[in-house]
Formats: sequence, structure tokens, C-alpha cells
Amino acid sequence: MNASCRRRCWSLLAGASLALCGGGATAADPPDATATDLPPPVKIRDLDYGDVLFHFFQDDYFEALVRLEVARQLERMPDHASEADLLAAGLYLSLGMHAEATGRFERLLAGSLPQSVNDRAHFYLARIGFQRGYLDRAWRSLESIRGPLPGELEPERRLLAANVLMAQGRFDEAADSLEAWTDAGDWADYARFNLGVALVRSGDPARGRQLLDKVGTLAVRGEEQQALRDRANLALGFALLQEQQPEPAVAALNRVRLDGPFTNRALLGLGWAEAAAARPQRALVPWLELRERSIVDAAVQESLLAVPFAYAKLAANGQAAEQYRYAVSAYAAEATRLDESIAAIRRGGFLDAVLDAAPAAAGSPDRAGWFWQLQHAPDAPHTRYLYPLLASHEFQEGLKNYRDLRIMRRNLERWSGSLEAFDEMIAARQAASAVRGPRKAELLAGTDLDGLERRRDAIAARMDDTAAARDIVALATPAEAAQWRQLEELGAHIDGLPAGEERNALAERVRLLQGTLAWQLDAAYKLRWSRLGASMHDTDDALREARQRLARVEQAGELAPRNTAGFASRVRELEQRMTMLQPRVEAAAGAQERLLASIAVRELEAQKARLGSYATQAQFALASLYDGAASGSVP
Amino acid sequence: MKSTGLRRLPNRGLQLIVASALLITVAAALVARAEAAEAAPEALTVDQDVQALKKELVDLNRDLFRLEEELLYPASTQVAVFLAVNVGTFFALDSVQLKLDGKEVANYLYTEREVAALHRGGVQKLYLGNLKAGEHELVAVFTGKGPHERDYRRGTALRFEKAVGAKYVELRITDRDASLQPEFAVRQWE
Repeated sequence: MNASCRRRCWSLLAGASLALCGGGATAADPPDATATDLPPPVKIRDLDYGDVLFHFFQDDYFEALVRLEVARQLERMPDHASEADLLAAGLYLSLGMHAEATGRFERLLAGSLPQSVNDRAHFYLARIGFQRGYLDRAWRSLESIRGPLPGELEPERRLLAANVLMAQGRFDEAADSLEAWTDAGDWADYARFNLGVALVRSGDPARGRQLLDKVGTLAVRGEEQQALRDRANLALGFALLQEQQPEPAVAALNRVRLDGPFTNRALLGLGWAEAAAARPQRALVPWLELRERSIVDAAVQESLLAVPFAYAKLAANGQAAEQYRYAVSAYAAEATRLDESIAAIRRGGFLDAVLDAAPAAAGSPDRAGWFWQLQHAPDAPHTRYLYPLLASHEFQEGLKNYRDLRIMRRNLERWSGSLEAFDEMIAARQAASAVRGPRKAELLAGTDLDGLERRRDAIAARMDDTAAARDIVALATPAEAAQWRQLEELGAHIDGLPAGEERNALAERVRLLQGTLAWQLDAAYKLRWSRLGASMHDTDDALREARQRLARVEQAGELAPRNTAGFASRVRELEQRMTMLQPRVEAAAGAQERLLASIAVRELEAQKARLGSYATQAQFALASLYDGAASGSVP
Repeated sequence: MKSTGLRRLPNRGLQLIVASALLITVAAALVARAEAAEAAPEALTVDQDVQALKKELVDLNRDLFRLEEELLYPASTQVAVFLAVNVGTFFALDSVQLKLDGKEVANYLYTEREVAALHRGGVQKLYLGNLKAGEHELVAVFTGKGPHERDYRRGTALRFEKAVGAKYVELRITDRDASLQPEFAVRQWE
């Protein structure tokens, strides 16, 4: 069931609780308001908010809420603050936490909000108000909405408004609002159905039938609309039957599908409509079809009485008597099975059986949520008669609570395993820290960063002197420096020789060589100075990095024990919370099961009483038949 | 007398049964309405207890989630890779393979539900891990169906500097309208 369908079912059923055709075989209870229709922001500006939406759009509301609360606490969604608050409130609502959700919506509205957020918060409050029966409050919230709501919310708001008006008995206003509503087909059809049913029941049947007829003759576009159409025809058929108008009732009931959730009741009604039109033979057609179906269904049970009634009308008293006898024995057998079911439910564990036997209908077993609902009762001894209960709001709410409690139990078990792993991890870190400590201290003791920095400063001072004096020899390579020293020594040696041409020639040669070397050194000076500067820059970077690393190592050394101790204390605190929660979850699950068992037993006893009444009617009819046969007065 | 009685019986039976059929259905409706409006006090108490328990469980999960993240992925070394889809009409995503410094760290196969969530604006936290400070390389390889239903495999890479503090990287699949081709971008978040 998609979100749109679920919403509509909710809206339909909220109104259809007034329906003549009862809670409905679809058995959906009205789920509480949801956040699924919150539109996403145009552009994700905080990745963590996008991560929340990723889970939210997969209907994984619990995971979405947990991530949302973490991101809010860590202030990771500054650009989506209002939307995140609204989403959080909606998620609490989707998970069945109405009180928390209401508080959050109200707190949101007390602050300064963008109009769109404000309107949506009012809308959800209106939904909760309607759901909880606070109609005046719901109406006030609806009146506080200023602009049209985005997307599908707007038609839903109008449907909600119509539903609130109907629930307040303001049918004329509801009808007026519907008549003015011409732009949204599907939603308006749901509203028309609800209003039609309400009018039939409130004393304006002609107007109600008109609306139901309109919905019952819709050109359908899908299963959802087909079900609505069936439902309208069923309600219309029974209304007409009640008003002794069998012919149009036949027409309406004939429009109900033969393989839908409302088929059994439609077949039953169709038979009565034919019988009321004095066509018992034709009445037998739907009734004989119906009696072949599962006797668990109330309509089928009733058909066991209807079939002999039709035979009697046709003066086929032998067949009538036979069918009455069959009915009496079928009712007795069914009553015995009901007793077995009641005993099984009283033994306990029936909710687990219901949930375990219906995994396909239950959706993901680990996803908590208020949209989950059991559509079909599994065919087990203690569950096969619970089908009518599925239409009950109280039972569905309790079942969802119980299911959520089972999910909570598994959630706690999973985290319990994780916490043990965290504990071991922290212990391992503490042990590693104890081993690393002495080695680290030794390393730190052998690291003389200050000495290195003093050496760097000395080099920098020498560079300054070189630059000031443009000392080209200072930047010479070792080979050049050796050559320079050799030439200086040679010069000094030549100076000590006796004067003469030979000495002069040697001096001149040394001078030329010195000049050549000086020229080479001067030519290379600029490049060498630049390289030296870059090298000094790298040295400075390396020293700074080393200083930072040292600081981090020292800091880590100081923080590690504190961090591990902090984590260990958090683990202990969380373990305590889990330990306290577990028995409370068990106790709540037990209380919920006892409550639902009492509802189930009450329902089964009512079914048994009804069977008893049917059996009495069958026996009475049978006795009359025998009586008539004995007196020879049977026609 | 008896004859009329016999004749009368089915009529009375009809009325009875019609009445009973309507009674069942109308009574069911009335019960449903009453239940929706006001549940039994015991049900209310259990419901309130369950609501309170659920709230405590949400808080507990929030704190456990934080503890897990801070313990396993401390901010100083944390790196998170997210995946987002913007429009995405030219590419139907099947899977993503993620490599960090040549080592495969994630290989994710998408379900239809997840792809739909991405298309609606959700952003998947594809990978959460730890990296040392310094330069690193991230390579993402996307596979799926490209234009005209053809198998499509494309990669995108990013060299990035991991400093002290959490690092967020976003992979984004967008539509390049001019060439009617998908585009795979990677972006660092501060």
C-alpha cells in the first residue's frame, strides 16, 4: 500500500466509521497522521539532513528519527532547522507517539516559523485533533492555516475539513464545501462517500443516496478507486434496502465486484433485495454462492439462514428443512471452533502467533511505524476468527503497540551486543595505551626540537651575514671552496718568493685563476641564494610540522586515558538505561497482550452469541416447518 | 391459522434477518466510531506507557548512535562519503564501488526503494570510515543503465587533503541536458 493510498484509506475510514457497511472488510484502522507527505526541501544544504530523508523516504521512520535527533544534537543541520523540527514532530507522530508529536508541533508554532512550516504544523495538529476526537481543536487548527498547502496536502486538508464538519454534525457546511470543490477528483470522491453515508444516517437519505450513487458509478482508474466504488454501492444498496426500494438496491449491489473485499456482504444484500422484490428464486443465486464461502464471515453465516428461507418461499419445504438442519449443525460446529479459539487466546501467545504467521502482510519486521497494519488474519486456530477485529481501531492500535514493543525488544538486544563490543574495544585501547606509553615517553625524551631550532637560527644568522656582505664564497660548493682556499694559500706562498719576473708571472696566474673562480661564484650566487632560501623555508615547514606533531602526540597522551575513561563511563550509563528499559518493555508487552486478548475474547464471545441467535432462528423455523407439515397446511 | 403462521414465518424471518444484517453492520460502525473517539481507560494507560517507552528508546538509540560514531569514527580521522541524485533521468543507478587510496571500501547494490528515495531528495551516507591527515585519493565507479537502456559504467575521482576534523565528500549524479548524458560529480564539503 503506497503512502497516498494509506492516507486516503485513513481519510476514508475516519469518515467511514459512520458507514452503513460497517468497519469494512479492508480492516484498515485509521492510522495516525504521518509525515510521509512532508515535501522535501528544494535543495539539500546539509548532507546529514539528506541522510535523514534517505531513510524517511524508505518509510524507515525509526532510523530516520534517530539520525535526525543525532544530527540536531550535533548541530549538523543549521540550514534546515525549521524543516527538521517539523519532520521530527511528524516522525514522532508516524511512530505513534502522539503526545510527543503534539508537544513538538505546539512548541514549533510558539516560535517564529516560515509560513509554509506554520501551516503544515497546524494541519498535523488538526489531524491529531480529529483522530483523537478533539473536533473543536481540530477545527481551530484548520482555521489557522493561511495559505494553500503544498502538493497532496491541500486536497487532504479539504477532506479533513469536510470530515471534521461531518463529525460535528455540520452536514450542510460539509456539503457546501464539497460542492465548491471541483478541482481534485480522487479526494473529493472520498469526501463525497463519507458525506453520503453521513447524510443517510442523519436523516437526509435522498441527498445521501445521490452522493453515494455518484461515487458508485465512478469510472474507476485503479484498485483504490474500485474499492471505494464497491463500498459506495454496498452502502447505497443497504440504504435502499432499508427503505424498501429493492429494485434500485439490486442495481447498486450488482455493481459491486465479485472478487473484492465487499463481495460477501454485497451477495447477502443482493439476495435480500431480490427476496424483497418477491423473486426468491433469484435470491437463491447469490445466497447459494455465498454459503459455499468460509463460514468465518458473518455474511456467510447469515446466508445459511437465508438459503432455506428462499426455499420455503418457493414451497420447497424439504430442501428448506434440510438447509435449516445443515445451518443448525454448521452453527454448532462453528461455536465449538470458537470455543477452541477462545481457549487458545486465553492460553496466551496469540499475538506472537498473529504477527509470526503474517510476515508478508506485516511489511519489514524491524520497521516500527504507525502505518503498519494487519490486513488478513492468519488461518490458525486462535487467529482465524480475528478478522472482524482487524476493522477495530482499538485492536489495530493495540496490535501496532505490541508489534512495536517486539521491535523494541530486538533493538535492545542488538545494542546490547554492540555495547559488549564497545566495552572490549575500550579495554583494548586502554591496554594499547599502557603499552605505548613508555615507548612514547622514550621517543619524546630523545627528541630535541629546541636544539634543532637553535641550529636553524644559527644558519639563518649566517645567511643574513652572507647576504649583507654578498659573500659569494660562503655559497661555494665544497670543491669550489677548496679551490678558493688553495689559491689563497698559493698566493701567500708566492708572496714569500724572491721578487722577480718569475714571481710576478706566478702571482698574475693565481690572480687570474682567482678572478675566474670569483666570476663563476658570483654567477652562481643568485641561484644558490634562492635555493638556500627555499631550503630554509622547507626546514621551517618541517620544524613547524614536527612541533605540531609533538604537540598532538603529547595531547593524545594526556587525552587518551580521559577519552577511554569517558567512553567507558558512557557505555556503563547506556547499559544501565538498557537494563532498566528491558523489563519495562516486557511488562508493557504483557499488558498489551492481556488487553488485546480480552478484546479478542469479547469479540469471539459476541460472534458465538450471534451464532447462537442464528441457531435459535434456524431451529424455530425448522420447528415451524415440521409443525406446518404435520398439520398439512404447508402450501 | 397454522397456514398463515407458516406463510408469515418467512416474512418475519426476512424482517428479522434483514434487521440482523443491518444491525451487525451498523453496530460495527457505531463501535468503530466509539472506539476511535475514546478508547477504554486500560487501553489508554497501556498506550501511554508504550508511547513513553518508545520515546525513551528513541533517546537511547540517539545516544548509542552517537557513542558508536564517536568511538569508531572520531572527528579527527572521520571521513564520510555521501551519494545524491539530482534528477537522474539519463542514468538508472544499479551499484557504486568506492575506493580510497586504491583499496575498495564500499560496493553498494541499490534496491528500487533506495533509488526512489535518492530521486526524492534523500542523500545516502555511502561510507563512513577513518583516514589519517594528509593527501588521499577517492575513486567512485557507478554502474547502471544509461541513455537508451544501455549498460553504463563511469568513474569519477578526487584527490583531497584530509586535515584534522571530519571530512565530508559528496558524489552527485546529475543530468547534462546539453549532451543528454549523465554527469558524475564529486565535491568536498567544509
